[in-house]
Amino acid sequence: MAKKKLTPVAKAPKVKLSPRDEKTAERLTGLADRVVTAANNRKDPFVDIPSRTLANVKYSPKKKILEMGNATNRRQLFDLSQAKAYMRTMLVTSGCKKLIDQGKSTSLRGLFYMLKHTIEGVKENTFDEQGECDTIIEDVEVLLSSIREELHLYAENRGAMVGGIVLTDKGDEINCARMGSGGYAIPSIVEPDVIIFDKKRCTAKFILHVEKGTVWQRFNEDRFWEKHNCILTHGAGQPPRGVRRMLHRLHNELELPLYCVLDNDPWGYYIYSVIKQGSINLAFESQRMAIPEAKYLGLRSIDFERCQLSDSVKISLNDTDRKRAKQVAQYPWFEKKPKWQTEIRKMLSNDFKLEVESLISKDISYVTEEYVPARLRDQDWLD
Amino acid sequence: MATRKPIKKRSVPATATKKKAAPPAVAKRQAAGKKLAKSAEAEADEVLDVTGDEAAEVDDAADEAPAGGKSSGRRATAQSMASKQRDISVSEFFAKNRHLLGFDNPRKALLTTIKEAVDNSLDACEEAGILPEIWVHIEQTSTDRYKIGVQDNGPGIVKKQIPLIFGKLLYGSKFHRLRQSRGQQGIGISAAGMYGVQTTGKPVKIISRISPKKPAHYYEIQIDTKRNEPKILNGGGEGVDIAYGEKGAKDIEKHGIEWVDQPHGTRVTIELEAKYNRGRGSVDEYLHQTAIANPHITLHYTDPEGSTREYQRAADKLPPEPKEILPHPYGIELGRLAAMLAEAEGMSITQFLSTKFSRVSPAVAKKICTTAKVSPRAMTRKLGRPEAEALYHAIQATKIAPPATDCICPIGEELLLKGLYQVVPGEFYCAATRPPSVYRGNPFQIEVALAFGGAAATQNVDKELLSDLLEETDARTIRQFLISTFNGLGSDAADRIMKAAALGTRQTAKQLKPKEQERLLQAMQNVNVAEGQTMEVMRYANRVPLQFQQAACAITQTITSTNWRSYGLSQSRGGMPKGPVYIMVHIASVWVPFTSESKEAIASYPEIQKEIRLGLQAVGRKLGMYVRKRQRVKQQGDRRDIFMRYLKEVATAVHELNGVDRDNLYGQLVTVAKRVTADADMKLDDRGRKIKEEAAETDYGDNVIIVDPMTHAAAIKRGPAAVAVADE
Repeated sequence: MAKKKLTPVAKAPKVKLSPRDEKTAERLTGLADRVVTAANNRKDPFVDIPSRTLANVKYSPKKKILEMGNATNRRQLFDLSQAKAYMRTMLVTSGCKKLIDQGKSTSLRGLFYMLKHTIEGVKENTFDEQGECDTIIEDVEVLLSSIREELHLYAENRGAMVGGIVLTDKGDEINCARMGSGGYAIPSIVEPDVIIFDKKRCTAKFILHVEKGTVWQRFNEDRFWEKHNCILTHGAGQPPRGVRRMLHRLHNELELPLYCVLDNDPWGYYIYSVIKQGSINLAFESQRMAIPEAKYLGLRSIDFERCQLSDSVKISLNDTDRKRAKQVAQYPWFEKKPKWQTEIRKMLSNDFKLEVESLISKDISYVTEEYVPARLRDQDWLD
Repeated sequence: MATRKPIKKRSVPATATKKKAAPPAVAKRQAAGKKLAKSAEAEADEVLDVTGDEAAEVDDAADEAPAGGKSSGRRATAQSMASKQRDISVSEFFAKNRHLLGFDNPRKALLTTIKEAVDNSLDACEEAGILPEIWVHIEQTSTDRYKIGVQDNGPGIVKKQIPLIFGKLLYGSKFHRLRQSRGQQGIGISAAGMYGVQTTGKPVKIISRISPKKPAHYYEIQIDTKRNEPKILNGGGEGVDIAYGEKGAKDIEKHGIEWVDQPHGTRVTIELEAKYNRGRGSVDEYLHQTAIANPHITLHYTDPEGSTREYQRAADKLPPEPKEILPHPYGIELGRLAAMLAEAEGMSITQFLSTKFSRVSPAVAKKICTTAKVSPRAMTRKLGRPEAEALYHAIQATKIAPPATDCICPIGEELLLKGLYQVVPGEFYCAATRPPSVYRGNPFQIEVALAFGGAAATQNVDKELLSDLLEETDARTIRQFLISTFNGLGSDAADRIMKAAALGTRQTAKQLKPKEQERLLQAMQNVNVAEGQTMEVMRYANRVPLQFQQAACAITQTITSTNWRSYGLSQSRGGMPKGPVYIMVHIASVWVPFTSESKEAIASYPEIQKEIRLGLQAVGRKLGMYVRKRQRVKQQGDRRDIFMRYLKEVATAVHELNGVDRDNLYGQLVTVAKRVTADADMKLDDRGRKIKEEAAETDYGDNVIIVDPMTHAAAIKRGPAAVAVADE
């Protein structure tokens, strides 16, 4: 049983807190103060957590992003089904406070281990799996309207970029045009206090985002970014927050248009939707991440005929795919776009999906030398 | 209406007038009359039937036919076959088919022998109005031989009857009457004696004294299986007298038997090939269950290891004497009716019907005659088969009042509860006695008692007993041992115990090292076997426990087909309900319909099943009320537990955040928790509303006992968990 050392809060912090950290720490402490007040008044302590469900997410046609509604879920200590969740919320809160006080940050898994211990007197763990901890962290984020970075938490690095830009990462200068075959790994925290752009040192004219590392390799090997003068990124499937935030900053601060090359399947459509409008789960961060101007370059349902692909590259849709496609078609942000409706209908009537790699059947470099340049030239994309 | 097989003997009190037994052939024909469609029985009927006519002797003919066929081209001729066709004696038949009587294997033989002897003793004592006291002694004479002695303080048996009762199959007083008794057929004890003689060659030894003034008689008897006759071995075929007092005691010792000195009583000693086991289907279990259902008896039991167990009587009153009744017309079969008509001398048909049957008034008899188109004044002997058949159908078509039911003596709810409470640990007990009912013209009555929440059998075992049990068991693996030794322990629970004891599934039961035994014991004490434990069923017929063929029994079938989920127990479809529940079902009847001679299961008559179901539902409803109430209070308690569990964590986290005093905050939170879960301390009514103390008791009706399981005598060894709760 992990005995917790009681670190007196009164003791002078070793680290000088930045104003931003101070603000976060204040919010965290506020949460604790409410427990004390409730206990003093013999009341049931609770927290109201903004609800992160589809029902509480609204699409703002004006801003063209997903926004979180006002609905909240009350989490009470003295409710049978919520007692444990409440206890976990307080644990995560105190864990984050400790990180801020010590001026350190840790991974999500690190925090999980930091807080995981056996509850005194019973054979029960505070947390059994990391997933349980991650959900609570997201709860705390929305509860305090502090993002993960502010809580000194980061996720694993995922996704890479390469291209004509020089940036500063924690004081080190990174030249993204000289990253070899691996590219620059996009960190999970890319806030301005970590990564600084300099508009003058960016020569790229647009961003090309591809779905997977393998496709990205193809583009990188063919030096596509050099020939077309762009920044090339990938998000290893559904892009993590670090990649999305990076794209958002590149797009907004350096005014680079964003084009996406994704698979022609419901999953690809959804990735595009998340980049463009934000995700349901993280709707509170849409403001900082969504890029409503992102364009969908390919692959399209018409590409099978347009590029004269062979039958062998078809992958038939399964039931989940069909269901998902219909769901995507009904999203408010796709619903009123006839081009998107045609696109999804076409895929359903094709009854197969296409991966970006399928273009390799034409020629190894078909995608980098013909497909993408042609689309860009013709300005042939979906919005 | 002798519906079924023959009877059991003994229990003819010395004072009672002797009833003449029908010659075996008659009994056989009667027996053939009506039957239940059980294969073993059907087989028995067939053969018995054959003996009546000059039909072939099936067994022998079949065996020897091929030999005869060599010379003549045909395998056998009618003449050669005729030479081999002869009578089969009942004793020969049963000697070959001993499994029909419950002597399938050595283990069961021991039980059946004791059971028959004890049942007979109890019947005899009760009939004579004596509070029964029984001595049972089992002694091991060699590896696979045991000597059993059963003695009672009954009325004794007159000298002349002793050899017939113990040495002749199908001889007895109980077959030809309709009266509630344990024995029915007159096979049991003589069959046990026969089995003993066959397997060991030792005669059956009987001592009986009918009065302190007369000497006791001592006989050594063998059954002559060919002729179904007793053969007396001692005293030149006359037996010997044994004097009262000192001299007699010496004689008895000389004969290698025992005798607890009594003014009157009988002791039978049989040596037989047997195997002694504990656990399910054992002698111990039988005696234990007998004590529960017969709170008026005292039982002294000495097991093969020489340890003695005493069951003292809890009630000082004999159950009321059951009345003998006439057969009811609805229960009679055509063949039996014709036989009775033939037997009745010089009676008019109206007289015959109204004197030989219950519930037939002259008016009803007349009505039957009219329907059958038979003159009411016709003499019985003049009636032929067609008239008998017409009468038979007329009886079925006529409305006749159901038989009197005051001939049934139930145990009674109060005594049922007493018996169950004394032996089964639990926290809730209830009982229900159904009003008497009728199946096929036979009155019967169903009683159900239930105990809930007992500690599991595995927790009542100490170190010595465990090592004894392990030594005795037949089971190959520990897992098998656990399941077969402890009643109601499912394979699930056994697996959990094995896991907790860190023993391999395939480990042999007999080769456990002392350390492993220690671990097994620990695990048995600690594992909560109530989880997944199945209902424990005790079945009784006329106060006799039924231990085998559970699945074939109407009682078990009715229990599994009853929906227990509405009474707060979990149950899979068509399975035994789960939970720490003991249930006891008793059927009392003048004629209990068993599925076979070994009297192990009750036949499923719809009328009987219906009554059983109603009885189960009566106790089930009370159980449901109790369980639901308990669950409600428990839920509140659980709620508080859950809150308490997390409060310390919350207090610590808050302390780390803002430096508030941790213990103080914890104290405050505990206060809130207590307020929020105050319901746990509150009595609730059936609908879960808060109620005042006066009205706190739920109305369960009569005959319910609720005890605090911690204070129950049988709950001492309930494991550390229970103790911890009790301490709080």
